[in-house]
Amino acid sequence: MAGAAHRALPAQHDPATRLTPAERKFVAWLNAHKTRDQVLAELEANLQVAVEVELATIPIYLFTYYSIQRDAASGEAIDPVQAFANKAGGVIMSVAVEEMLHMSLSANVMYAMGWAPQIYGKAPAAYPTPLPSHNPVGPRGPNGETAELIPLSRLTFEQLWHFLQIEYPEPLDAPPQDRDWQTIGQLYSYVRCLLRTDWLSDADFQRGAAAAAIQPYNYSPNNVDTLYPTGKFDPWKPAPPAPRPGWSDSYPSAAAAADYTNRADSHAGASQLLCISTREDALLAIDTICDQGEGYPVPNLGAGADDDPSKREQSHYVKFLKLQAQFAAYGATTETLADEPSPPPPQLPAIMQDQLDQAQLVIAFPDNPTTDSYPPELQPIARFCSACFQYMLILTETVYRVPPAGQKLFFNEGLHRSMIWVLDKYIRTIREIPLGNGQFMAPVFENLDLGERKDSFAGLTRFGVEAVNAAQALANTVPPNSSMATIYGDVAYYAALATGTPAGLAPGKRPLVDVRPYWSE
Amino acid sequence: MTKHAPDHSSTPSVLHQTVRAGALPAPGVPTPRPFPYADSPPFPATIGPQPAGMPLHACMGLNSCQGSDRFGTRGRPDTGQPNACAGQGYCATATDHTCHVQNHCRNQGGCGLYGTAEEMDNPGNNACQSLGSCATPINAERFSTNGPNQGKSVWARARAVFEHGVWPELRQELLSGQTVSAAQPLPETLGLPPAPFAQTGPTYLWISDDNGARDNMTACGASGLSGAGGCS
Repeated sequence: MAGAAHRALPAQHDPATRLTPAERKFVAWLNAHKTRDQVLAELEANLQVAVEVELATIPIYLFTYYSIQRDAASGEAIDPVQAFANKAGGVIMSVAVEEMLHMSLSANVMYAMGWAPQIYGKAPAAYPTPLPSHNPVGPRGPNGETAELIPLSRLTFEQLWHFLQIEYPEPLDAPPQDRDWQTIGQLYSYVRCLLRTDWLSDADFQRGAAAAAIQPYNYSPNNVDTLYPTGKFDPWKPAPPAPRPGWSDSYPSAAAAADYTNRADSHAGASQLLCISTREDALLAIDTICDQGEGYPVPNLGAGADDDPSKREQSHYVKFLKLQAQFAAYGATTETLADEPSPPPPQLPAIMQDQLDQAQLVIAFPDNPTTDSYPPELQPIARFCSACFQYMLILTETVYRVPPAGQKLFFNEGLHRSMIWVLDKYIRTIREIPLGNGQFMAPVFENLDLGERKDSFAGLTRFGVEAVNAAQALANTVPPNSSMATIYGDVAYYAALATGTPAGLAPGKRPLVDVRPYWSE
Repeated sequence: MTKHAPDHSSTPSVLHQTVRAGALPAPGVPTPRPFPYADSPPFPATIGPQPAGMPLHACMGLNSCQGSDRFGTRGRPDTGQPNACAGQGYCATATDHTCHVQNHCRNQGGCGLYGTAEEMDNPGNNACQSLGSCATPINAERFSTNGPNQGKSVWARARAVFEHGVWPELRQELLSGQTVSAAQPLPETLGLPPAPFAQTGPTYLWISDDNGARDNMTACGASGLSGAGGCS
């Protein structure tokens, strides 16, 4: 996070972070050399960059997340390798959830200032990818490389290094940077300085109605996927306050074994997902983003290891570093880690990549797949993955156009269903499709063109029908009752579930909401 | 077009699949012994006929009237007796669903896996379609992942919310309505849920028929912590 500050005494919530000396100097320079119009133009451009940076991280983290088999063993049979895989999944998902929060926060700041955040079609164009405006050269990685290029890759020691590249904490009193930024914290530091100039007042944050912004009630820090069991548990034991069961009391219940990766107090301001109507709100939103990513700043030291007053939630950087530190390779790594927070010792029990691979707890995904890299018969199936992803981005943009009274229902029926019930299950299904070379089909998150936003549901439907047809054609090539027939049937089911087309394939299920009414002005 | 044979209406087969090869012990083995629910009727996989005009509900002990539970007006198969009154029913009568926001109607959402702190503090107490939270029935092992009930039983919270919030309001609505039979008891104080489950709600051990029918319900999530199968 940008610069040193002090942790406030317990209060309603943390105040906005104090400016560092470097930031104070830069704000004075901005006040002296920039006009109001220039400050506003830079804010619009940099907030859009921030939205795209947050967006870029989501496919990267999700790709690795979906390479992990988290619960191949039931609670009573979890071994250390399975436990690590499950923990890795929980940790990565906990960060992905907060990246969605960060994108929403930056988008809410934009919206409050009168600018429509652009998300549809703004994911990275190809992988490995630089993050938008990132300095192409960074700290040395485990293989000696310094390129800031992030791949889509399965869970490995090296991929966790790339996660660290994304979340690398900024040094003490680092300069604000709007291009070739070294750390995300320095990009947000630049935005913070623009927000702090004398050219702005609270009225500048009231050009988009706070009631129409993405509301706090849509965000929850944890869900069953951000949790992980700390070890073996008794899957039959009821959750507390149930009385002790009559059978042998060997392992704890799932509830007692669960570790929560995110915490409800890991935010500045009144809530995690802030709506913006003042300058202070915007600054607090940026504090939440920076603290969660890189850690709460410790005075005269730099980034801390945690991001919450209760000190129970680690920053993204520390979460990933501690995962990496459990790989056996960590002990001999030559990667360049930040001085603060200080690197952890190797975590035990040490895990070898071979153990994860041999147990098939990390699926053999190809690196950086594209639709075109898959065999022609699988390409429509891959393409629908991107179509669903893009439609989710349009749904996010559409939230700002939904009358506030209907936002909760729209969010549930649009975003939640598309994330949890369509895309999540679709990816879990396609990753069962063998590619014939020892690898399995992996998701793609391409900037697929669904047409104009008002027509995008029709575009999604078109790609869905193509996926259904491809899956059904493949099903006809395998024995009717085989596991592959079931998998192809499931692909068709989820593609049809999203749009209700072809009719009858997902009976009794409601399709995703069509955004057309909100874009037909 | 190939007709997709498996019944996808509630539990797609992908929720039970894994690409992992190799021998793994059967999930849940060994099961607790002796089987704690030997004296209880088996979990009914299908929902029986319901009293006309009465609200559906999300889980055991959350029913509003006599004969309203999973066995319905036909009653338990072993005794032929329907449950006697509100709060005593066996399990959900709302259409089974496996995930957040899939509920069809008011008060039919489960809770605990996905959702906000507020939703998780109000299981079985949602306003309408798509505003409920998570799978039904609410298995006893399930705990809230957010909010003041974090780490604690979702079913126990649902029962408390029903007893102190939903039922008093619902009872008044039913008493003032025109559709309820005069014979239908609508007591001010709820009856106790069926004995073996009175403090826990329906356990997955019972729902899965002693681990023999794990497909009887599925709860979503990949961490293996939902307590009722998962989607790996």
